Amino acid sequence: MNRHQAEIELRKIFGFEKFYDEQWDTIDLLFKGEKVLLIEKTGFGKSLCFQFPATQFEGLTIIFSPLIALMRDQVNGLVKKGINAKFINSEQTAEENSQTIQDAKDAKLKILYIAPERQENQEWIQATRDMNLSMIVIDEAHTISVWGHDFRPAFRRIVNLIKLLPEKMPVLATTATATKRVQIDVEKQISSQITTLRGQLVRDNFNLYVINVNSEDEKLIWLAENINKLSGTGLIYTGTRVNTEIYSRWFEYLNINTTEYNAGLDGETRKDIELGLMANKWKAVVSTNALGMGIDKSDIRFIIHTQIPASPIHYYQEIGRAGRDGKPTNIILFYNSTRDDKGIEEDYKLPKAFIDGGRPSLKKYNKVINAVKGEQLGERQIMKATNLKQTQVRVIKADLIEQGIIKEVIYGGSKKYEYQFDAPELNTKAFEELRQLKLSELASMIEYVNLSTSRMQFLCKYLGDDVPEIIENCDNTNLEEFKSNPQYNTITQLKEFRENYFPELQVESRGSNIVNGISASYYGVSNVGIALHRSKYKKGGDFPDFLLKLTLKAYRKKYGQEHFDMIVYVPPTESGDLVKNFAEKLSRVLKVPISHNLIKTEETKPQKVFQNGFLKKDNVSGKFGYRNIEEIRGKSVILFDDIFDSGATIKEIGRMLTNNGASKIAPLIIARTVGGDV
Amino acid sequence: MEVMFNNDSMDKELAYWLALAHLPKVRIKKKNEIIVKLFEEQKTIIDFFHSDKNDWVSNYDIDDNEMFIFEKAINELSNYSFMVEDLLEQGYSIIPITSPDYSPILKKNLGRTFAPPLIYTKGNKNILKESSIAIVGSRKADEISLEFTDNVAKKASKEYKVVVSGFAKGVDKQALDSALKYKGQSIIVLPQGISTFKSGFKKYYKQIIEGDILVLSTFFPKAHWSVQFAMARNPIIYGLVNEIYVAESSSKGGTWSGVVDGLRKGRNIYVRKPNVIEKNANNLLIQKGAIPVNLEGNKLSYEQIETLNSIVSEPDLNTEEEKIIEFLKKGVYTSKRIVDTLKINWTSRKVTSFLKHQKDVIIVKGKPMKFAHKDRTIHAQKTLFG
Repeated sequence: MNRHQAEIELRKIFGFEKFYDEQWDTIDLLFKGEKVLLIEKTGFGKSLCFQFPATQFEGLTIIFSPLIALMRDQVNGLVKKGINAKFINSEQTAEENSQTIQDAKDAKLKILYIAPERQENQEWIQATRDMNLSMIVIDEAHTISVWGHDFRPAFRRIVNLIKLLPEKMPVLATTATATKRVQIDVEKQISSQITTLRGQLVRDNFNLYVINVNSEDEKLIWLAENINKLSGTGLIYTGTRVNTEIYSRWFEYLNINTTEYNAGLDGETRKDIELGLMANKWKAVVSTNALGMGIDKSDIRFIIHTQIPASPIHYYQEIGRAGRDGKPTNIILFYNSTRDDKGIEEDYKLPKAFIDGGRPSLKKYNKVINAVKGEQLGERQIMKATNLKQTQVRVIKADLIEQGIIKEVIYGGSKKYEYQFDAPELNTKAFEELRQLKLSELASMIEYVNLSTSRMQFLCKYLGDDVPEIIENCDNTNLEEFKSNPQYNTITQLKEFRENYFPELQVESRGSNIVNGISASYYGVSNVGIALHRSKYKKGGDFPDFLLKLTLKAYRKKYGQEHFDMIVYVPPTESGDLVKNFAEKLSRVLKVPISHNLIKTEETKPQKVFQNGFLKKDNVSGKFGYRNIEEIRGKSVILFDDIFDSGATIKEIGRMLTNNGASKIAPLIIARTVGGDV
Repeated sequence: MEVMFNNDSMDKELAYWLALAHLPKVRIKKKNEIIVKLFEEQKTIIDFFHSDKNDWVSNYDIDDNEMFIFEKAINELSNYSFMVEDLLEQGYSIIPITSPDYSPILKKNLGRTFAPPLIYTKGNKNILKESSIAIVGSRKADEISLEFTDNVAKKASKEYKVVVSGFAKGVDKQALDSALKYKGQSIIVLPQGISTFKSGFKKYYKQIIEGDILVLSTFFPKAHWSVQFAMARNPIIYGLVNEIYVAESSSKGGTWSGVVDGLRKGRNIYVRKPNVIEKNANNLLIQKGAIPVNLEGNKLSYEQIETLNSIVSEPDLNTEEEKIIEFLKKGVYTSKRIVDTLKINWTSRKVTSFLKHQKDVIIVKGKPMKFAHKDRTIHAQKTLFG
């Protein structure tokens, strides 16, 4: 098919008049059965480079994509054009996914989007035997490189697959963000016979700003005072999940129209928020960087980062989602440059901590290796055998698989990890190399913050792009700086907010009469944690009175004037009578009688000893009882404890009290930890 | 057929190898002839699949029927890629006949007519290069055969020889257990696809990761056990070894035909010299040229053989019984027919009563009642070496 013929088809199916030259070059190569790496900026029209040939091929085109939101958007768009497209991912039910697989086998589909993790699924692998395959596409191809900014272990298998494909099978890899190093790595991984097409990455409709602040509070205040002055709607990226919650509550408190989004939300809610974003339902969505990748919204007018990303590539990738319509778009980055006692800048700490915590210690690697040497183990069994967190076990597993030390083997429906005969020694040199790379990337990000020349030029150069001589679109060139200048009024509002903001505890579960509870504070975010720590571990005496005031305030906010029959407290493991004494004070103030009948039927270890939820659950499972069952039957009770971590203890007691007839169990906690596992 | 490959280029060929190895209705010989031809022309299997149709006909002698089958295989190549990726990811090895990892013994013994173009393994591949033995015999072997098996496995393990077995009951299981007991190395040849051996991979996990066991299959990876596979596996076992030890053989069945075939091919076959009271065909195999060995698996001297033979040649007390059983292997008969044909001095009733108590005899219900021998119900095995 020549370009002229192709453009006739293009008009018929997609309604576009012509291809860009770069698009046609790509498509032409694919028609010839070649392998292509396409690096073009967001908004270029990369999708058409595989969607169009897919409609012309006889069989099925499979698109591996890490972006669920993108799959949904693109499939909807294709279906509207009358193209048979579907997707397979975790957002759909197993039945829906099975139906899609069946459709693919029955040759009812032209285009199938699929998450790379699916390559581990046996139903899928089995089904691929019966599909007529025409082309394979890897979207967001930078994720296949460990040198890329968002490496995903699941893509390793896709790369292996690509290497095993027959010759003349067209393969397209696309990305909007690849440094030269990543480009070379991707080329090497896919094929020696790959053609790379690279476009210009400059985004001249951006207005780039960096705002230097002296505290976390200044960020909250600047946003409060200025966000409604920014035109259009946009995204606010906070570095952590907890911060999406705090920022979001703050805006709520000020009646600024925002919502929060993070990976902790269920699929249904996330989908609703994505739809709401498309419809400009909010001024801003406060989110971790999980949102926005691949969302097909051309008029995101601003993107604000409250924390610096890990590198200039991360930053380019994340801001790249804005302003795809080419209209002026504000790109703002906050940086708190206050130095602590050790002279380290505050906002350097979080990304540095991610690098330091990115890999577990060598000892932990050896723990996993030794456990798997002993017998075939599943993931949970590894966690139990090693007392490691799920996140750590996953990192270690991925590394060990990558290095060929263990393999993931599927027997029947279950995944087991097996040590390999003649497995190599663990190669830690690769880890150190990667760590050094990440540190130097972070240093480059700091460089961007402190830059006095064109910011866009810096980003393009960093990405290995051919840079135009002059790019003027930032606060260092032609735009007026944004400055942090807190107003007294806003400072007062923030203080009030802090005293009235209480994190909720999600513990409701089927078959238990426990309700979602309330905590007076986060453990790590305030002085509350310090006070608790002093009393518990430094013999600081009873919990101080300001905690009582705060806890009571949290209680009133959540439960108001609701009547409770009784207050019970979690029997302690190691902190003596602190919890009991505090509960007695609560009982006196609230005028709710206290009961001392909630007991441990068996000794438990302190929950903090255990690194993962399964062991925490095991530690408390069946370990609590009630001394006088008659007393609790039909009663609604407040369940008090000092610290809430995984929630395993509170949930276990909730179940036990429910089984003994309690009608309602309402948790009340002094502080909730940040980033509890599982 | 020895060529050096680097791993990546070899891996790139694997989908093509699966497509060739699992082609339906094409003989192994034909497949191997294509491979030999490619080797001679210094071409790869990829070149073959992508070469011109005319080339297939003129150069590789592919007829119209085969053409259709090969064309279908081309369309399935990418599907095989998915399968290969999954198998490699799970730690299985896929070894084409041209790979330096392929067992040289298997290639030599089975030749181009029967050597499988592709084998699947899990565990220590180096074992395929070691000197190896098989101990064969019945699934329902006598104590003495099991003792012999244990002795031979012990001796082999001491001499660093690999014990190859088929993971069946009786002699097979004893051979494997003994090899492991004496810290020797073993190859388990599966009567099924490699990825369906879940319980075995669990049971022998330690030995596999320590390099003492290699599990091997020549069948489609997901294929489940079947009688046909169990029969087809036997030639692979015989092919994988330098020496074959026979613990016990009847004068029919897999062991018998395998050994007889091996003798014709001039293989090293050692047969346990049986005691006088044993009812098996071991002596018959020795007469056909197998080397007699004692209970320890050591060769017998001429004198020892003479002594044993003189005992063996004494009249056998159970002649009538043996005659009846032998006769039954030829067909399905009534007791009366047996008495009439064999002209023995038994009543039909006595024959009926005797046959009802034989474990290898099947009663065919009806009037009059008939009898059949189990050996007859399993299809005769194909010959091993052409």
